[in-house]
Amino acid sequence: MAPKSTAAAKQPTTSTPSALHETSPAAAGNAVQSLLKAYNETTSPRLKLIDAFLVFLMIAGVLQFVYCVLVTNFPFNAFLAGFGSCVGQFVLTASLRSQVNPANRNEFKDVSPERAFADFALGSVVLHFFVYNFLG
Amino acid sequence: MATKAYTLPTDIPTETVTNIRSLLRIVSLALISAAAISSRLFAVVNFESIIHEFDPWFNYRATRLLAAKGFYAFWNWFDPTAWYPLGRVVGGTIYPGLMATSGVIYNVLHALNLPVDIRNICVLLAPGFSALTAWSTYMFTKELKDESAGLLAAAFIGIVPGYISRSVAGSYDNEAIAIFLLMFTFFCWIKALKLGSAFFGTLAALFYFYMVAAWGGYAFITNMIPLHALTLILMGRFSSRLYVAYSSWYAIGTLASMQVPFVGFQPVRTSEHMAALGVFGLLQIIAFSELVRSHVSSKQFQTLLYASVIGMGVLGFSGIVGLTYKGWIAPWTGRFYSLWDTGYAKKYIPIIASVSEHQPTAWPSFFMDLHILIFLFPAGVVMCFSKLRDEHIFVILYSVVASYFAGVMVRLMLTLTPVVCVSAAVALSSLLDTYIDPTEPVLEEGESAESEATPQDPTKKVKKTTPPSNSGSFGEYLARFTGNTDKPRGIFGVSNRLIVLFNTFGMLVFFVIHCTWVTSNAYSSPSVVLASTGADGNAHIIDDFREAYYWLRQNTPEDTVVMSWWDYGYQIAGMANRTTLVDNNTWNNTHIATVGKAMSSPEEVAYPILRKHDVDYVLIIFGGLIGYSGDDINKFLWMVRIAQGVWPDEIQEPNYFTKTGEYRVDDRASETMKNSLMYKMSYYRFNELFGGQQAVDRVRGQQMPKEGPVLDYIEEAFTSENWIVRIYQVRKEDLLGRDLKVANAFEQGRKRKKTKPPVRRRALA
Amino acid sequence: MLLLPLLTLLALPFCQALISKDQAREELTKLAAANNGVVNVDEHTFELLTLPDREWSSTIVFTAMDPRRKCGPCKGFQPAYDSVAKAWTKVAQEHRNQHFFGYANFEDAMTVFQKVGIQSAPLVYLYPATEGPYKAPSGRTTPLVYDFSGGFDAEPLAQYLSRHTPVPIPYKPPVDWMKYATIGATLLIAVTALRVISPLLKSRWVWAIGTVLTILTMTGGFMFVRIREMPYTGNDGQWIAAGYQNQFGQETQVVGLLYGLLSASFLMLTMVAPYQTSPRRQQWQVWLWSAVICIIFSVLVSLFRVKNRGYPFKLLI
Repeated sequence: MAPKSTAAAKQPTTSTPSALHETSPAAAGNAVQSLLKAYNETTSPRLKLIDAFLVFLMIAGVLQFVYCVLVTNFPFNAFLAGFGSCVGQFVLTASLRSQVNPANRNEFKDVSPERAFADFALGSVVLHFFVYNFLG
Repeated sequence: MATKAYTLPTDIPTETVTNIRSLLRIVSLALISAAAISSRLFAVVNFESIIHEFDPWFNYRATRLLAAKGFYAFWNWFDPTAWYPLGRVVGGTIYPGLMATSGVIYNVLHALNLPVDIRNICVLLAPGFSALTAWSTYMFTKELKDESAGLLAAAFIGIVPGYISRSVAGSYDNEAIAIFLLMFTFFCWIKALKLGSAFFGTLAALFYFYMVAAWGGYAFITNMIPLHALTLILMGRFSSRLYVAYSSWYAIGTLASMQVPFVGFQPVRTSEHMAALGVFGLLQIIAFSELVRSHVSSKQFQTLLYASVIGMGVLGFSGIVGLTYKGWIAPWTGRFYSLWDTGYAKKYIPIIASVSEHQPTAWPSFFMDLHILIFLFPAGVVMCFSKLRDEHIFVILYSVVASYFAGVMVRLMLTLTPVVCVSAAVALSSLLDTYIDPTEPVLEEGESAESEATPQDPTKKVKKTTPPSNSGSFGEYLARFTGNTDKPRGIFGVSNRLIVLFNTFGMLVFFVIHCTWVTSNAYSSPSVVLASTGADGNAHIIDDFREAYYWLRQNTPEDTVVMSWWDYGYQIAGMANRTTLVDNNTWNNTHIATVGKAMSSPEEVAYPILRKHDVDYVLIIFGGLIGYSGDDINKFLWMVRIAQGVWPDEIQEPNYFTKTGEYRVDDRASETMKNSLMYKMSYYRFNELFGGQQAVDRVRGQQMPKEGPVLDYIEEAFTSENWIVRIYQVRKEDLLGRDLKVANAFEQGRKRKKTKPPVRRRALA
Repeated sequence: MLLLPLLTLLALPFCQALISKDQAREELTKLAAANNGVVNVDEHTFELLTLPDREWSSTIVFTAMDPRRKCGPCKGFQPAYDSVAKAWTKVAQEHRNQHFFGYANFEDAMTVFQKVGIQSAPLVYLYPATEGPYKAPSGRTTPLVYDFSGGFDAEPLAQYLSRHTPVPIPYKPPVDWMKYATIGATLLIAVTALRVISPLLKSRWVWAIGTVLTILTMTGGFMFVRIREMPYTGNDGQWIAAGYQNQFGQETQVVGLLYGLLSASFLMLTMVAPYQTSPRRQQWQVWLWSAVICIIFSVLVSLFRVKNRGYPFKLLI
């Protein structure tokens, strides 16, 4: 299922070590460390804040999904609304991150960072309107 | 220097030109809207402001309730008069978008103190929204090429018969607003993709929600956008803009679409929606891998990343397939599956196969509905291939998919029409651009001229010079074809221009004349009221349907139950306001099969069924007198087939054919056919019309047997003027407890005996 | 005195009918076993199969295999029928003699044909059991007629008959080795030739040609011809089907060709003519393609007039 893959994929610290386990652990450890170093150095504090929010949303989504699978999926609409709000907010935030990232400037010629934030706000409001309606 | 074929005034400032262009655009759009609205009003002018066909009557009834009693009464409506005795939960089984739109317009107009009747709102909703469709097609085509192509596309879709057929005034059906929503959603999607803006993604999701609320064909959008995204990924055109646009559309749109009760949890539970989910997951994986790749340079790490990404993708896909096998995710429903496996419906779901709109399309329908656009369409697609931006790929995919579906089902011609209009507009606009442009190419020998980008003429396009893809003269030729060359380009002389422009203008005039003729002759019939030309050329209106429905309304008690074939259910409910057994919703196949069994069985077998369902009146359509070929005898075999599906022991289709396998209604008809209730009801007393001569059925073209059928269990209540609608009353049980057949025979015998003279006896002295 | 022989004479026909049920069943079982599960029907075996107090059901195919009768569908259907009958012979013994398959050829069973009133072939009649545990629930004794709604294939016949036989007929369609072989070979060729064809797949014009051909085929009415299984041309060689919602296979090609020519003319005018360096060549091209458009469009309109009789417009032709 897509959520599982999204949840697993977006955490660089959990999935990649397990994937690299098959080759050389030393090289894997080095690669992960260099990844973290590169990430720490090249990312601005603004983006790191957004990334922290993304991680939080992912954890919330995973918890809800685990609850649904292990305990119960009744009421299903409430689960979908909650899970949908996590996924939707995650996606909107990720979009904001890519639009605000200075490295992507030439891709988003018509969308300034301020406009990106306004879009993000509008999208989140609409999303939560539907979430609230669907919660029952 | 480049010469001009004809002179243009050079002293006009650029600003004035821009302003005049904007003014011309606005005026053109207004005129196109006026043309679109007025060409749909033929039916209102010829007949009156009435709701057409069958399905719109139900929508009208629902809207009447909404306008009278408010939104909550409509949302929670349970209709006990439909599908007697089951009833129908209307609130949860309809797409409420159309009724809600009419309700909002009604309330707004009444708030402005304009007391417009709800019927007029319903009748004129489709033409109004067609103007909006023209505008949204303009916006969509503007993204592909430029405003002039947009105006052409708007003009085409305003008057093309393929769209008019489902949006004339009076055709109050879901497609009236659905095509506008379709084009606008696609416009928002393309704009979101081009800009990479989450705002347009949210807007696309909102209009997608409106579309889901309005029409069952929303599944087309649900699969078209993921298909586009997947194609872009496979072509290597993944970008952050695609990610932003698709993710915002999917996340908000899917959650929004589940708000409609009729859709419910389908977006996460059925196969039709799994493609969108799959592409969503794939996009997340690819976006993440791109992000990580930008941070890390190690080659080894990258290859491993790719491998794990592909592995996760395959895992996700197999997860979906596995869930489908286990039954958690429902497979493709019959309606959509029958589009792929075209023999499926006839074998397993005869109701779907029997609808006339679900028949495959022959080529004259394409030409009639699209005229010159049908051959401009491939030319436009080729031009899309030559430019091949992201939005052109969308049009190419849309065109291929829509051509296939339009070929499989007549009804889906409607989804082909917008893309045909758009492509044809692109093609024609390119042609006109080339031949109106006054610049002539420079006649240099063996030297490539500069690109002719003159600042004065804003309609010019700058030709980019890129090296041809293949080497050699073929590559050179192809490069010229795509416009990626620095060779001189232009038309010499005025005469060439005049020829082509005159030709094009003539074709466009022919197009307009054709569309007007088709609309007024073929698509403006309300089908509730028929028109025919008499021998002296006078128009003769055939109003049998309304005559019969109003007879029912005025001469029967309010709780009467009427049995008829499901085609007429909505009309009976809407016009006669009586309870029906089955109607066009066709949600309960067994109930419809019960009606079919009653119609195709002999009276003795049908009578208990009629009494069990409290049927008071039976209504049939018979066209044999005036030659109306859409009558129930022609539909009879479908009744038999559907009944056979549920009772294969009692009803077999071959029994209704003659020994040689023909379908006949005259002397040679099989016994089962002659004894069936439908046959008897259709031809009861038909002989009396022909004054001693043998009756002739004008639709089947056969002579009826001399002895007409005898009805024992039902009696004739009403027959309309041209014998199109015949209503029979079901007799209650005999007072003396006899079998009704015996009782009837007794009556007949008594009648006969009265004519014999009394026997005189001489008293014995 | 003469009464006794007279009585015995009169009793003779009844003797035949008094053949006991078990004898009949035995004889039928023997006949079926000897001939791959199919009993050849003549007057006598027909009586056995349709004994009035039978406890078994029988399926009889009425067919005309003689070449003089020219019954194509009969010949086409017979292998399917035989394979279903053969599948029935694999059923367990106690069920096998509850149902029999009969084969009535017109030449050998003319009186049977007359008795039942068969006037067309092939026909499959199913005579349900009249007594015993497998009697039809509705109590009918008249035969059921199989409508060939699924075509002349074995699978639909097996499915239909299985509804009335004591146990479902264990018919398994034969494995289509050819299909698997072709699929396997194609995949192999595709994989090995990937390097060769991959630049072809990357070229947009290959895709363009494919797309345009698909569109032309579909808008020419190809799916109609395939779904309705229309013939390529009509019976007497005419290639235009009568009626507005009707077409033959050849019409798809003709109409596709016309549309293709018209599109190509427009493309020539827009994309080739402007690049001509010599004014005379360009003028010649413009005239040529404009003339092609006019003429071919007139042909298309007149073709449409043939299909739609009420169409009032016409161009040159």
